[in-house]
Amino acid sequence: MDRNQIAKWLKSPAKMANKYSLHAVYFCTGCGIIEIPPVITTRWDAERFGVLPVATPRQGNLFMITGYVSLKTLRAIIRTYEQMPDPKYTVGFGSCPINGGMYWDSYNTIKHLDKYIPVDGWIAGCMPRPEAVFIGVTHLWTLIDKGKADGYLRYKKNYAAYRRNQEMILRDIEWPPLYPVESKAEEVSV
Amino acid sequence: MRGTAVMAQLSETASTDSERELELYFGPQHLGMVGNFSITLKVRGDRVLKATANPGYLHRGFEKLMEQRTWIQNFPLVCRVNVIEPDSMEWVYARAVEKLTGIEVPERAHYIRSIFLELARVASHLFGLWAYSNMLGFDTPAQWAMYHRDLVLDLFEELTGGRVYHIYIWPGGVRRDFPKGFKERVVETLHSIGRCVPDYDSTFFNNRLFYERARGIGGISQQEAKALGATGQVLRATGMKFDIRKVEPYAAYDKVDWEVPTREDGDAYSRIWVVRDEMIESVHMIFKLLDAMPEGEVFNRGPNPFKWEIPRGETYVRCESSRGELGLYLVSDGGDKPYRVHFRTPSYPHGLTILEKALEGASIADVGNTMISLYVVAPEIDR
Amino acid sequence: MISSLQEDLESKFKDVEVRVLEQNRISVLVPGDSIPVILRYLKESGLNHLALISCVDWIEQEKLEVVYVLTSYMPNDTEHGPEQRLHVLLKTRIPREDAQVKSAIAVFENAEPYERELHELYGVNFEGHPRLIPLFLEREYEIPPFRKDFDMRKYVEDTFGSIPSVDG
Repeated sequence: MDRNQIAKWLKSPAKMANKYSLHAVYFCTGCGIIEIPPVITTRWDAERFGVLPVATPRQGNLFMITGYVSLKTLRAIIRTYEQMPDPKYTVGFGSCPINGGMYWDSYNTIKHLDKYIPVDGWIAGCMPRPEAVFIGVTHLWTLIDKGKADGYLRYKKNYAAYRRNQEMILRDIEWPPLYPVESKAEEVSV
Repeated sequence: MRGTAVMAQLSETASTDSERELELYFGPQHLGMVGNFSITLKVRGDRVLKATANPGYLHRGFEKLMEQRTWIQNFPLVCRVNVIEPDSMEWVYARAVEKLTGIEVPERAHYIRSIFLELARVASHLFGLWAYSNMLGFDTPAQWAMYHRDLVLDLFEELTGGRVYHIYIWPGGVRRDFPKGFKERVVETLHSIGRCVPDYDSTFFNNRLFYERARGIGGISQQEAKALGATGQVLRATGMKFDIRKVEPYAAYDKVDWEVPTREDGDAYSRIWVVRDEMIESVHMIFKLLDAMPEGEVFNRGPNPFKWEIPRGETYVRCESSRGELGLYLVSDGGDKPYRVHFRTPSYPHGLTILEKALEGASIADVGNTMISLYVVAPEIDR
Repeated sequence: MISSLQEDLESKFKDVEVRVLEQNRISVLVPGDSIPVILRYLKESGLNHLALISCVDWIEQEKLEVVYVLTSYMPNDTEHGPEQRLHVLLKTRIPREDAQVKSAIAVFENAEPYERELHELYGVNFEGHPRLIPLFLEREYEIPPFRKDFDMRKYVEDTFGSIPSVDG
């Protein structure tokens, strides 16, 4: 360990511990899932980067959305994201969450993931190689160091806009808003 | 007095709790679920009364997308129907186009296609072995299987340029010939996997725990399997030697000697043993095909693919993918785009009708076991 | 086998049009009401594997064509023979406006999910199906999405393009 690292550990141990133990929620959202088992098993070994799959979203702080997102999956993704505790980081894996990818003209997939949940980083490719996952994780560490991986703070700040987009695309949402959404003054009946 | 009244109330709820019917979701976010699929279970106590499969999480409207793209633009798209073994989709689409246009394939290309499809079968079965042994709790053979699969993916990367999506089989042959020294590397990789088979056997396949956990689980009889449209190892585990590589041979499968492995009992234990025997048979088949391969061209150049118009007609083509019978119904109206494309995927009857029948009366712990032994691959069901 | 099947069908049922597409693939066009009877006849003659139920939208002729692909397993544990290669594509044409066909579940138990899928993607109603609820789709569309008059790219632009992005 060099002196820089030791200084960082002494100054903010919580941030360093958070950074080096990103536990990923195990949710196979799309076809990108085929490169996740090689990443978490012996050949590419994500555990030396601190990344480990966990069973429930209550225990995880990294959400990798691997591949395209259909409408039914978007419901499941929003519920999973809202169950994760803060601080949490989202990474869009593959070209499809970025702008629709291969299925840009499909009636059942959403085209831009960051209109519905906040995304901290993207990994492009179809499929991205396992090395790309590790480069993405190290970039996420740099963002966490500088305090720029603030997706969960943006979600709280702009929750009204996110909730409005979710309601526009999913039409009826059966779970209540996560943070209080103020109703507009003119809708209050006298 | 008050104490006994409270005790009576508690015991009343206790006796009705185990009789209460609950609805559980073996849902998309689950550690035992490989792929984005969900099963709704109505349970009483620990027994499943009724299981309902909920597909649709991966529906892209594939067949409608293919109608909007020209014949040549569909090739990168067609392999993404199933992500675990994309090569059999490419073969089926290329064969259907060849049947409608009459393009001939050179002899060496048939051999290369067979070797390629068998390597894809080995990789897909190793992935299934990872999923299944992880589900049962055997982590070590799961890690080995994923490592060996990665060695096979290295071969694919050398041959085609991509680890997962290859786009190698075109109508008229294959995209390029084997590079120098490729044959020796294939033999070396398969030997290094084959040397570990005794380790796999002693750790997993001959393990007493695997026998206890999988014997009698998710069993179907041969009559039920035939009535519900089963193919692939689900049918071969009930005793029937139905393999499309023998029934309606294609590529170079009728030029080598090989046997179809079967088992008798139709439960999860038999299915996984059939998978193991198929992998070993595939490896032997690859060695024989490499020895018998002739020299020659690998690609018959057809007409200009950017201005391709396929004559009117319809056809139904099928092949044996690693899960069962994969078929394609293709209709062309003489234009530059397909008119109707419909994939008959093997996981469709396995995951929707057979799964619901096999889960009746199962315990909750066996749901994942049954689902993965039937080798239900979710993107194939939804397309 | 093919020629005897053709003669049997033409002699036993009326309005049957048999065409040989290529070796081992024949197509049989029948009116919609005779579908269950002919399916049962074909199953009893040995074609006991229903591989696929598909549908083609011939919009110019204003017809939907429902296609049943039938082939056969081996009887019990015998070896396979050339009759396992024969495929019969049984077709019927129904009007687009009021698409009704009798369900094939009584003959082939595994027809259930195929018919659900065609019901939601093409709007074909299968009489006698016990559970005609949506299979893949999350919502209802005005025109069933796989029909040729559903303009997919315009739908995508209207629905997904109209959602504003979130700033900050």
